[in-house]
Amino acid sequence: MIREIEAFIYREARLLDERRFEEWIDLFAPEGYYWVPGAPDQEDPYQSVSIFFDDLPLLKTRIQRIRHPKIHSQEPPSRTCHLVSNIELATGDNIDDQISVFSAQIMTEFRLDKQRSYSGRVRHLLGSTDEGNFEILWKRVDLINCDGLFETLTIPF
Amino acid sequence: MDSYDQVSLSSLIRPDRVHKDYYIDPEIFKLEIDRIFSKSWLLVGHESQVPNPGDFVTLTLLDQPMLMSRHRDGSLHVMFNRCSHRGAKVCTKPFGKALRFECPYHGWAFHTNGNHAGVPYPERYADGFIEDGDFDLARPPKQELYRGFVFVALDSEVCDLDSFLGPMRDHIDNMVDRSPSGELEAPAGMFRYRFAANWKIQLENLNDLYHPMFTHASTTAEDGTQFRRQGADGDEAGKVKLLEKHSSLNMQWEEQVIAGHAYGHTYMQRFPMDRENQGPVYERYKRSMVDAYGGDAEAKMMVHHHNSIFFPHWSIQYMTQHIRIMNPISVDCTENIIIPLKLKGAPEEMWKSALRSNNNSHSPSGMVMADDMDAWVRCQEGMQANGHDWIVFARSVGEESIDNEGSFEALGTSEANARHQHKAWLHYMCETV
Repeated sequence: MIREIEAFIYREARLLDERRFEEWIDLFAPEGYYWVPGAPDQEDPYQSVSIFFDDLPLLKTRIQRIRHPKIHSQEPPSRTCHLVSNIELATGDNIDDQISVFSAQIMTEFRLDKQRSYSGRVRHLLGSTDEGNFEILWKRVDLINCDGLFETLTIPF
Repeated sequence: MDSYDQVSLSSLIRPDRVHKDYYIDPEIFKLEIDRIFSKSWLLVGHESQVPNPGDFVTLTLLDQPMLMSRHRDGSLHVMFNRCSHRGAKVCTKPFGKALRFECPYHGWAFHTNGNHAGVPYPERYADGFIEDGDFDLARPPKQELYRGFVFVALDSEVCDLDSFLGPMRDHIDNMVDRSPSGELEAPAGMFRYRFAANWKIQLENLNDLYHPMFTHASTTAEDGTQFRRQGADGDEAGKVKLLEKHSSLNMQWEEQVIAGHAYGHTYMQRFPMDRENQGPVYERYKRSMVDAYGGDAEAKMMVHHHNSIFFPHWSIQYMTQHIRIMNPISVDCTENIIIPLKLKGAPEEMWKSALRSNNNSHSPSGMVMADDMDAWVRCQEGMQANGHDWIVFARSVGEESIDNEGSFEALGTSEANARHQHKAWLHYMCETV
């Protein structure tokens, strides 16, 4: 089981690095969401600002924007490398077919002669599709610098 | 000795252009801190950031470490975050609750109103040294509160806040009056970001209607419709739905009024393409406003402006509901703080929608903010190039109407907003030369 989950999460990271954003979004359940809180220890997304708090329609908008021929803030595009590790299954709170997964991640981004690094704890809640594949019910990334000073961000963590 | 005198400063500003040194000369930047930022009322934040006795926030004002706290008697205090002993910051937490502030270096302590609360082992100081010394936390010479907005001035010679705000006071009122209880809150913290561009480039951008169809082209679909910015489909936020229809260059933009008042303040009027609000949440909001204000409710609910800029340091954005504080760090570095605002007493759904709008458009990943920041940094880098020494603001030059009080009005994609700021800049900069 854990091998399959690892493979799913590694592939997810690779899709982002290969800029296969449409395929990345397809990993999310229709009611799924992607959340990067703007403050530590948030219990819900309305307690504080969020760096990302995207439902599926908004994720699609983001990708539509990244693909837009006139997105000058991605000219040249960011190159990223997502390094995912420390994958653990959370025990005790897995309901039905849902699996809660912890991991740690470093995303390094390079654009216009600048290299930036973002580290954080990641939590996935995975469900399964009718075809028996995993799908992301939600993904939450708690950056260690979530309330720090940022430059612009475009590529999801 | 300054190398800039009144003549050389004036030569940087022409009616339809400014010299690139206005943005890239570090010496100009130093003069600006002394002559503009020290002579203006600066926004520190909102009093709801410290609602209860003992609450505090640490913050940056220009490049100064500051502390804002609520004392046990309910009074609000803004202080420099610097121990009066050896200069250490007395507090480094972003926010929290304190009975008093104790410097971790040698234990000097301060009450939450900044008063000196004593030193450990005072017997080794000369008699009366501590008691007679001025060891309170230093405070900016002036501090004022207007409807929850906390202002300070770093020079006691500044004009009074009322004169400084002038007609712009209505812009604060318009934001506050939209709350059924006449109060705003800042319960969601803030976004913070830093970008490598001069502070004035951002200031010129906020009321610039010439840029959206190009800078923000990637936020429109092929048919010209704007991506949604509000929290969710079907939201009824009781606020404007900007650019819902179209954001290409067309007459809608040119109908928009841009205007400004003395001291360099500028604003835009409500977008003409705003959709009327409707729906059950909005009806609930309307009822609470009528309960609170009776016949005045409709006027108070109305959003009159968009992006009111209080020169040189902060702005209110009515659409997404936030205040933006723009701290100049160096000639080519600016730090922004964006604080979403909640209308106290309005339906919770409206707040959720406002917060999500802020996330979508003005977080560091915000689909609007990223475009703008990228453009500002491009300007700063591009201005280093030789060849052209002037930055051009000639669009509809001379077409704005200007009155004797220092106010102006112009239409649409005119660059009159920037020209107004240039004039105010020169006035500030030459005042003390």
